[in-house]
Amino acid sequence: MEHSFYIITWPDIFVSLVLVAFCIGLIKWWRVGLESSILIGTVRTFVQLSVMGYVLTWFFAQDHWLFMVGLIAVMILIASFEGYRRQEVKVPGYFLIVMFSMAITVVLILGTIMGFILDVKPWYSPYAMIPIAGMIIGNGLNSLSLTTNRLMSELHHREEEIELFLSLGAPPKAAVEESMKESVKAALIPNINALMMVGLVQIPGVMTGQILAGIDPLIAVKYQIMIMYMWITTSTLATVLTQLLVIRKFFTPHQQLRREMLRISD
Amino acid sequence: MIDKQPPLFRLENVSLKISGKLLLENISLDISQGDFMLITGPSGSGKTTLLRMLNGLHSPTSGNVHYNGKPILNENLAQTRQEIGMVFQNPAVFMGSVRENLLLRQRWDASFLPSEKDTANALQNVDLAGDMLNADARSLSGGEKQRLALARVLLNNPKALLLDEPTANLDEALAAQILERISKLKHDLGLTVVLVSHQSSAYMEGISRNIQLDKGNIT
Repeated sequence: MEHSFYIITWPDIFVSLVLVAFCIGLIKWWRVGLESSILIGTVRTFVQLSVMGYVLTWFFAQDHWLFMVGLIAVMILIASFEGYRRQEVKVPGYFLIVMFSMAITVVLILGTIMGFILDVKPWYSPYAMIPIAGMIIGNGLNSLSLTTNRLMSELHHREEEIELFLSLGAPPKAAVEESMKESVKAALIPNINALMMVGLVQIPGVMTGQILAGIDPLIAVKYQIMIMYMWITTSTLATVLTQLLVIRKFFTPHQQLRREMLRISD
Repeated sequence: MIDKQPPLFRLENVSLKISGKLLLENISLDISQGDFMLITGPSGSGKTTLLRMLNGLHSPTSGNVHYNGKPILNENLAQTRQEIGMVFQNPAVFMGSVRENLLLRQRWDASFLPSEKDTANALQNVDLAGDMLNADARSLSGGEKQRLALARVLLNNPKALLLDEPTANLDEALAAQILERISKLKHDLGLTVVLVSHQSSAYMEGISRNIQLDKGNIT
């Protein structure tokens, strides 16, 4: 069986604007008042993705391991800034915590995929490394932001419970066990749900892209399965590392809760 | 020559400042074995902060807190905290049975295995029926929850009891019962008791000392 491979051209893209025009017309008729937002979003999508395409093309042409390592480091740095910015309660040293957690997660998971699963040659091949690293960093960032925000809220609401545990001689780890459980759940449940539901309702994004690009669906399925496993592992690793480092900031060496840090969140 | 026993708690020029706010100022205080001390004062005067310091939940910004002649924040902090039982104003009762709440320490200390008799005794010591062990802890009344919190602390065989407004959320009759029970426990078990209350000591028998705090100072 011959695989179909559909070439999409710039004029085709402009034709697809008919869809957006229809959408704007509908919104206008319904008087929702979102026309300008949709218009701006449409232009931004075009500009941002076009720039990304050219940038990626340039990146893919750079055939040197040092460039790739540098690029991944910059991606982690930008993600760490974003993670820090998203955090409502400022935890001291949180930027470094995010950077460390992301770096360890990327090295371990990207290394496993590139070296042992896809067996990429050379090991720094930008065609594999950039998109996979991007997915790991994006997913890791989401999970660690979810877990930290939930952890802050749990510590705040369970302050009395935590101090009760400490007053009975419990180590901090036991005192925050429930808070940590809840915040790990908050970060992992979206990924677990995705594992449960994938393939039942819709074709996942990566698979859709590969099939449209003419790849055999069975090959696309294998990639998707690997990506699903990568997502849950990334989330778990980034979440646990972040939690371990964040929770230490809330206790003194004398096993006392730094209540004043929780007050900031009032 | 007879060795003079050190006071159970000794605070030397203790001050505490958190986020720029002075909560305790230059407090010096000895609490001897067997004392029954009442700490009173208006809201925000530092009563609870002082009590928390006696359990090692705060470190002084300056000055020293000693327990049994040694710095309270020592390498055996967990054991020290178990010897100094603290009951908070809001008794934290967790989902599960009364037994699970009593044996909370088992969550981190597998060697904590009080006998069935000790567990039932702990309940009886606070006027709760021994057959309540399997009851749902969350279904208890406010007074019963407070007693359960007290029983949980008693299971550690404490030398001292720190009580933070233990009757604040109870009606007068129930509060009197709890205070009477505390007096009896102190007497029967030879405990040192430090009780924080915004009320006067008029209805409480056996109080050996009463200090008043205002704006972090003993007045």
